[in-house]
Amino acid sequence: MSGQTYLTVAYLGMISALALWTWTVFSRSKSLEAKIDSLEKALAKNESE
Amino acid sequence: MLGLAGAGLTLGLGLMWAPSVSIDAFKAPEAQRIFYWHVPSAWAAMIAFGMLFVGSIIWFFKRSEWAWKLHVASSEASLAAGLMCVWSGCIWGAAEWGVPWDWTDVRLNTFAMLTLLSLYLVLGRRSQPDGVETRDTFAAFGMYGFILVPVTYVATRLWQIRHPGPVVATSEGSLNSDMGTVLLIGAISFTVLIIGYVMAGMRLTDLEMRLEDLQSRYEEGNR
Repeated sequence: MSGQTYLTVAYLGMISALALWTWTVFSRSKSLEAKIDSLEKALAKNESE
Repeated sequence: MLGLAGAGLTLGLGLMWAPSVSIDAFKAPEAQRIFYWHVPSAWAAMIAFGMLFVGSIIWFFKRSEWAWKLHVASSEASLAAGLMCVWSGCIWGAAEWGVPWDWTDVRLNTFAMLTLLSLYLVLGRRSQPDGVETRDTFAAFGMYGFILVPVTYVATRLWQIRHPGPVVATSEGSLNSDMGTVLLIGAISFTVLIIGYVMAGMRLTDLEMRLEDLQSRYEEGNR
């Protein structure tokens, strides 16, 4: 393999890692917020009954 | 976002603007440009390992929830930055040395152990129920594991086997000034990036703890 190929493989791997990490942070945050929101609504409903 | 933009700028400058290294000194001179993200990701991993140590020690002795969140967030950040560094290092090793890894090189092995430690902390925390004993165990690993950080730092100075020695902050440094500028931009960008990710990770841990609390309140209310 040429030096250029190694360079491309290395940066593609690192860019993918950074993209995956960023996506994970955003998707975890969104999913947790949605769960918290629905639980808070359920708790409020339970308390009002 | 600022850190990501800086990392993108470093990549662009490293590929387009920074001068090439001497063809005589390197077997794979083009692959040397891996260095512009490899070194900043190692730097970012070291900052994250430092934060992991601080979070672990404060949790262990003060039982501070804030410190536990720092421990969790920095173990995840150190794993991501560590893997980026190991990956890029292996690719560069394959291009330059002909082998991706050298089991006799102290720098490579101590850094890999640090990355494996963060992997253990991330996976371990997810597989164990949260509690003081669990947190103490992981915090102890975070504290004692930190000993590998100074060992990794001095490794190429004391036992240079295969990994190149330091090129900045040393009298033996021979880095071209343009290369140094790109590397500095990279180091600053990855510092901002890792701090941003640790802050985001602490917020995620906070949300997880809030969710657990709400779930237990909901289950109690339904009994």
